[in-house]
Formats: sequence, structure tokens, C-alpha cells
Amino acid sequence: MMKTQKPLILIIDDEEPLRDGCRQALEKSGYTVLTAGEGVEGIKIARENKPDIAFVDLKMPGISGMEIIEILSKDIPDIVLIMITGYATILSAVEAIQKGAYDYLPKPFSPDQLRTVARRGLDHRNLKIETRRLREEKERMEKSFITFVSHEMRSPLVVIRQYIESLKAIAGDRFGKDVSDIIERCSIRVQSLEELIEHWLDFSRIENGTFAQKKEPLRLSDVTSRSTEEMMPVCKGKGIFLEVNVPENLFQIIGDEESLVRVFINIIGNATKYTPEGGKISVSAQNSEYYVTVDISDTGVGIPQDKLPFIFEPFFRAGGKEERHRGSGLGLTFCKKIMDSHGGEIDVTSKEGEGTTFILKFPVPHPRAEKLSEAPA
Amino acid sequence: MSVKKKILLIDDDKDFLFATKLILEKGGYEVFLAEDGKRGVEMWKSVSPDLAIIDMMMETWGEGFEVLKKIRATDTGKNTPLFMLSAVDLQGPYQSFEPPPEFPKVDRVLQKPVKADDLLGYIASALGK
Repeated sequence: MMKTQKPLILIIDDEEPLRDGCRQALEKSGYTVLTAGEGVEGIKIARENKPDIAFVDLKMPGISGMEIIEILSKDIPDIVLIMITGYATILSAVEAIQKGAYDYLPKPFSPDQLRTVARRGLDHRNLKIETRRLREEKERMEKSFITFVSHEMRSPLVVIRQYIESLKAIAGDRFGKDVSDIIERCSIRVQSLEELIEHWLDFSRIENGTFAQKKEPLRLSDVTSRSTEEMMPVCKGKGIFLEVNVPENLFQIIGDEESLVRVFINIIGNATKYTPEGGKISVSAQNSEYYVTVDISDTGVGIPQDKLPFIFEPFFRAGGKEERHRGSGLGLTFCKKIMDSHGGEIDVTSKEGEGTTFILKFPVPHPRAEKLSEAPA
Repeated sequence: MSVKKKILLIDDDKDFLFATKLILEKGGYEVFLAEDGKRGVEMWKSVSPDLAIIDMMMETWGEGFEVLKKIRATDTGKNTPLFMLSAVDLQGPYQSFEPPPEFPKVDRVLQKPVKADDLLGYIASALGK
């Protein structure tokens, strides 16, 4: 925030006549002036009053001007430091500026020179503060923008689906199969647009670093049970058998349970789209020396060999344009990014007509220590 | 014939109010609509509904929480079932919403859109039908 009161200037100089001269000259121009005859006092006054500008004499008994400048530039944000010197050499000026001074004023100087340098320093300070304020505002907007936009985009879609729900509730019994089918298709398309927005949102959050992930010890069996529970109704609805074979004694890993649940739901969800009725999706896991590995296999249509290398690319679709099961095209990219952030790997093998397996490998922190703790007493 | 149970719906999206009203009326309830938190609290006092459904994110994030607090603070609001609505998945991966301990009781958190059968089912069980 910008100050509306009179600018505050501190003069640190051991010569009393100079301090008084400066005070008079600056007060005449509407500044409030504080003075100190030596460094320690000057630093104390500066810390208490947080002046806009400090003029610091370079050569003083006790603590030197250069040291004062160094301390104040660290301690007091946005302070403008100006060096006063009777020995105006290029070298000392350069050093002062390196230590955080903005300008220097060679002795002797006139009241006008003093006021000019003060004015310039103040402008510099205001500019600096304003620039920072704008930058912070911009960052804040960028962060909330994603949330805002996704809410604004989702709201109408949510309402459309709510209308479809009410339509079914109030008149569903009057529809024939043809009308019901059309309504169902509308609902599915709206839903996939919602999913696209959701995935885009995740994606943007990862890209701009606002996707907060915890780094906590967690059990992958919790992740698999949460995600398979969530996907169970979908599998049942499609007549797909979901088999889970995850031992309880998996090594702990470090990561973010919520985003990993999202990863698993994504991959199992994908499998449900490509696995015909009567097929099977199985989730299994095992420990190895350095990794916990989770396999998610399906008995689906499979992915052609030449497409396999690209499936983690954004908006890549293995089935091409005619693909029936349109997803957002960002799901697997999201999974890859989350696995990367866990120091893990995600891989895929597939055979057309037989099925696809996703292999997720999570590094085990301190494999040896973990093993010891697992050993029977 | 028994008197219809009254449900108050508070949401700043008129379309959402209308769409949900249709479902609730189909379910045999008398429905009252409020388009903002302030009116919602007023109607709560004047109508004395048997249940209220409150959108969390109205004019501002969290306006719904304020409404909830005010309703819970009324005499009739202490034990009446109150549902919260949200367009985002509150307990999902990114929103993991943990109400503070002093937070007033919410009987159910619903994510928009709400399936008609689910909505009517939750209401019926909350009203002990």
C-alpha cells in the first residue's frame, strides 16, 4: 500500500551542521526528517520508523556507512539508500550500489541537489512498490482465474444435467425408447465436456504449480481399495468383472494419496471404456527390492503397437477420429505427470484383441530400512 | 391426505432452482425457493421448512456456510436436516474440504448435478419417511 502521509527521510551523518542543513532543506519541501549521528543509533531509528529514504554518510567513526547500507537494505524492505561521501570515487560508489544503495551524493552538495536526489529516490521507491503490487495482483489473478473459469464453465453444464434429471423425473414415464436414448446421449456428451474441463483444470494446475501435492507416507493398498471401490459400480453397470489382488504388506511409499487415487480411477476408467461386456479388469500389486509395482490389466480391445509410444501425449487418441469412447484426451497425460512427480514410472504393454496392461512403479524410500521393519521379530 | 413436507432450496442459480424444484415437486414436496443467502435465512424463519438445501458457492465462496450457521442458530434450525450443495467435489482430490470442529452440522453434502432418485432418496431418509 502506498503511503499518503509525508515521506519520511533519515539522515545518518556524524557532522551535526550537515544533518541540520539537510533537515532544513528537506523539511522545507514537505518531508519529515529523522537524524542520527552514528551508525548504531541510525539502524535503531531505521528499524523503528521504517523511513522511505536513508542518506548514509560513508565515512563515520564506529560502524561504517557501507555496513549500514548492507544491514538496512536487508532489514527494511523497499527502503531507498543513498550514500553521502566526501571521497566520491567510482569504486566506492560501485561497492555501495552492490551492497544495496540506490544512488550517491558527493560532498559538498547544495540543498537543491539534495532535494533532487531525494525526489528521484522517492520516485524509484514508489515505482518499485507499485511494480511489486501489480506483479502480486497478476499472480493472484492467474491462480484464481483457473478456479473461476472452471466454475463458470461447469455451472451451465451442471444446470443442463440437472434439467435432464428433472425431465426424466417429471416425464420419464411418457418417453419412448427413442426419446430416452436421445436424452441419455445428451447427458453423456455434457458429462464428457465436464470431464474435459476437469482434466484441463488439473492439467493447468500442474503446469502453473498450484496443484498441491502432499508428500506423506502412504499405503498403496489404501489407494487401490479407494479407487476400485469407486469404480466398482461402473464396472458392474458394464458387466465387467473387477478383480483386485493387492496384498496388505506392500511397502509404504511417499506421495499424495488423493492424486494417486485420481490416477488409478483414470486408468481403471479407461479400461472400462475399452473392455467389452463379460471382460475383466484386474488390479494387482507386489513389492520388489526398490519398487512397489501395481499392474492394471484389462481384457479389452488393446492398443496398436505403433500407437503405444504416444498414448501419454496430450489429446492423443489411440482410436483416431472415429473413436467411440471419447475421453478428454488428457487423462493419461495427467497420470504420467503425477507419476513423474512421485519419482515413479508408468508404462504400458498391449496386444490388439487381447488387452492392455498399465504398469505403475513407485520407488520405495530406504528399501533396506523398510525391509528390516517388515522382518519378523 | 397428509400435509406436504416443506423444503427450502437456496441457490443463486435460477435455473438450478427451477430444475431441482421440478424434481422435488414430483417427489411430493412443497418447495420454497431463495435466490440468495439473505433471503434464504428470511424464508427459513417465515416458512419453517422441514428440510433445507443450501448451495455453498453463491455470491462468494462460502456464503452457504454463513447461511448454514445462521439457520443452525435459530430455534427451528437446531435439529432440522440441512443439505449442502456444491458444484465441485468437496471431498475430491483437490478440494479435500475438512469442516472445522466448531462447524455446524451438515446432514449431507451433495455434488451438483444431483440425480433425481438420489436426491429424493436422501430427503426421504433424512425426513424419516
